[in-house]
Amino acid sequence: MAAMKIPGYKHCADSPIQQLLPPERVRLPIAEMLPAVDVGDRVEAGTVVARSAPDAEWQRRAHSPLTGRVVAISEPASEEGPTREVVIEGRAPTETSARPHLDAATLSADRILTCARDAGVVGMSGAQFPTHVKLRPGVPIDCVIVNGSESEPFITCDHRVLAEHRHEVECGMHLAMRAVGATRGEITTGRRGHPFGQERFVISDVLGRDVPDGRLPKDVGVVVINVQTARALHHAVCDREPLLERVITVDGSAVASPGNYTVPIGTEVGHALTQCGVRLDEAAVLVAGGPMMGESAGLETPIGPGTGGVLALGHGQISDLLDRPCVRCGECMESCPFGLPVVLLLEEPNEALLQCIECGVCQFVCAAQRPLIDGIRSVKAELRAGRRQG
Amino acid sequence: MTRGRSGAGPVIHSGRTTPRLMAHAVAALAPIALASTWRFGTAASVLFGVAIATAMLCDAVCDRRNANDGSAVVIGMIVACLMPATAPWWLAAAGSAIAVLLGKHALGGLGRNLFNPAALARVLLMGLAPAAFFSPLWTIDGRTAATPLAKELGASPVTVVDLLLGLDSVTLGDAMPVAVLVGGLVLIALRTIDWQVPLCYLGAISLLALVLPPGERIVGHAPWLAGNPMAHLLNGSTLFCAFFMLTDPVTAPFTRPGRLVFCTLAAAYTMVVRYYTPYPDGVAFAVLLANASVPFIDRKMIWGSVGRGASDELPAVDSQYLAGDEGGQG
Ligand code: SF4
Repeated sequence: MAAMKIPGYKHCADSPIQQLLPPERVRLPIAEMLPAVDVGDRVEAGTVVARSAPDAEWQRRAHSPLTGRVVAISEPASEEGPTREVVIEGRAPTETSARPHLDAATLSADRILTCARDAGVVGMSGAQFPTHVKLRPGVPIDCVIVNGSESEPFITCDHRVLAEHRHEVECGMHLAMRAVGATRGEITTGRRGHPFGQERFVISDVLGRDVPDGRLPKDVGVVVINVQTARALHHAVCDREPLLERVITVDGSAVASPGNYTVPIGTEVGHALTQCGVRLDEAAVLVAGGPMMGESAGLETPIGPGTGGVLALGHGQISDLLDRPCVRCGECMESCPFGLPVVLLLEEPNEALLQCIECGVCQFVCAAQRPLIDGIRSVKAELRAGRRQG
Repeated sequence: MTRGRSGAGPVIHSGRTTPRLMAHAVAALAPIALASTWRFGTAASVLFGVAIATAMLCDAVCDRRNANDGSAVVIGMIVACLMPATAPWWLAAAGSAIAVLLGKHALGGLGRNLFNPAALARVLLMGLAPAAFFSPLWTIDGRTAATPLAKELGASPVTVVDLLLGLDSVTLGDAMPVAVLVGGLVLIALRTIDWQVPLCYLGAISLLALVLPPGERIVGHAPWLAGNPMAHLLNGSTLFCAFFMLTDPVTAPFTRPGRLVFCTLAAAYTMVVRYYTPYPDGVAFAVLLANASVPFIDRKMIWGSVGRGASDELPAVDSQYLAGDEGGQG
């Protein structure tokens, strides 16, 4: 069998970005941060509610998107448990105070990085790595790629942002280029399907450079940022606006009004779905993110900076994990972008598995419907533990 | 109401699941069952029914949890296809029992059986109950022949049309090679099997038929088989094996290049048996022999590209940075 192409299901590609009725409660995930407020405190939209410890290497910030009151701060969870959250109730500001617009052309790299840090800009395609750290790579960079190849099925928010706010994205790209001293900038919109929107494939498609196993894009002179990250960088620097909202795609057969919507960071999945007319009895599973790499969600799961979509998929759209006996069909190897014999690596762990990016294609094609990603994660954890000891 | 799904990874699936693939196989085998009934009468349907029922029963006894995936039906049908039309019903039952109990469950276990269960059953039964297998069916010029490839000198020359319509066949599976061809093309169209597998096997058979010097049995008794690729392709269980036996993923190598090596080997074994042994068909032997080399093929062909130690040259990248930075699309 030729490796199978993952279908796009991009139903919302032509739906203009709309504003959702803002929620009256947000849950801000504050992983790796310390709360900067107490329960009961009043906060304004834009107030910092959590920040990294002063000595932390990768400084993060979380800002309240609502004006209101802190109603709860969840206890530090165990390593496995849910992320710690600050819960705020209030209302979204009706208008943002206009600040003097800065001219990007006059800013120093340091100024850009400081703005990005203070605005809490992080990678907005899942990983949520602080952008100011990424833009201080410490090695020469010649090219910044703004990755608009969102290859996850269903998800179209980056596509819409590019279609409707391209100038903001371009401005963000130029800021990133200035910050890292790159002379080249590219905005990509790959069409190869999942998982080829992942950064290592985009780098090889655009520049023909291969990121070796265990290396980072910066090691081949590239920095890749997501479309909405670039836009957030533009707002952070030019408008000095913290990261308060993002565009998500809401879709799935249980959703009456699928589309692309701007939502405050921390909006609960349930709120977004309700606003889009979800029929919960028809939903087999809720997903925060895309259907390949997203996480299954509950109604209270918050939409974080890296959550590209909220899906309420019907029974006909999903598949259960049945864990039937492997039939040795080899499809998992055939479809793996790295050619890894996935099921065999789970039986006989090998360091090669560490290059797996958990794109999920093997599990998508597995005839036996095996929970391959669960298996990969636990074997990888064992391999990493073994390496630390050895 | 919604339930969270336990287990990470994609929630969507290609839809090509084991039960679906088995259903495709059953659909592709159905024309063969019909053709054999048309050709050999209701006795053929009885053999199919007995073989399928026995296979399902044995499978349910061994593994209740996975018994509903349809694979037992497929094994039963393939066992029946390898039976001579004159076989008594108990031969089909014994074949299915051997295939499922011994071939599938005892020799390796679920998804790990080394040998093609139906080929194993056929070869064992040929040894244990040769009389049932080689009971004469054809009378040619007053003599009898057990199998078409055994058809001896003196018979009227067999034409390609004769062969396609199976006028010269004995097992249920090759009752009408046209039906096998149709079923096989259905499987290719549904992308259930890799078209390269039958192509490679049939191609290698043709080539070997041309280049190998025929042995004594052929020269002495069936000279029309010498150097005649078409006769080898359309006779015996060659086509059936190409589309329905070598394509069993469990007993074939894991990688596509490995599967091509495997098919070529199977073709070589087939031709060696036909040209140089007293056995006229040789397909079941060839499949078993090729199955036996699968672990070796896999060891050579999978790990070559994968096993390089990723650890040797790893830079000191903090794993958290790795996980955090590379997990996304930028
Ligand atoms: S794990 Fe799944 S995809 Fe991989 S060989 Fe086994 S059945 Fe095929």
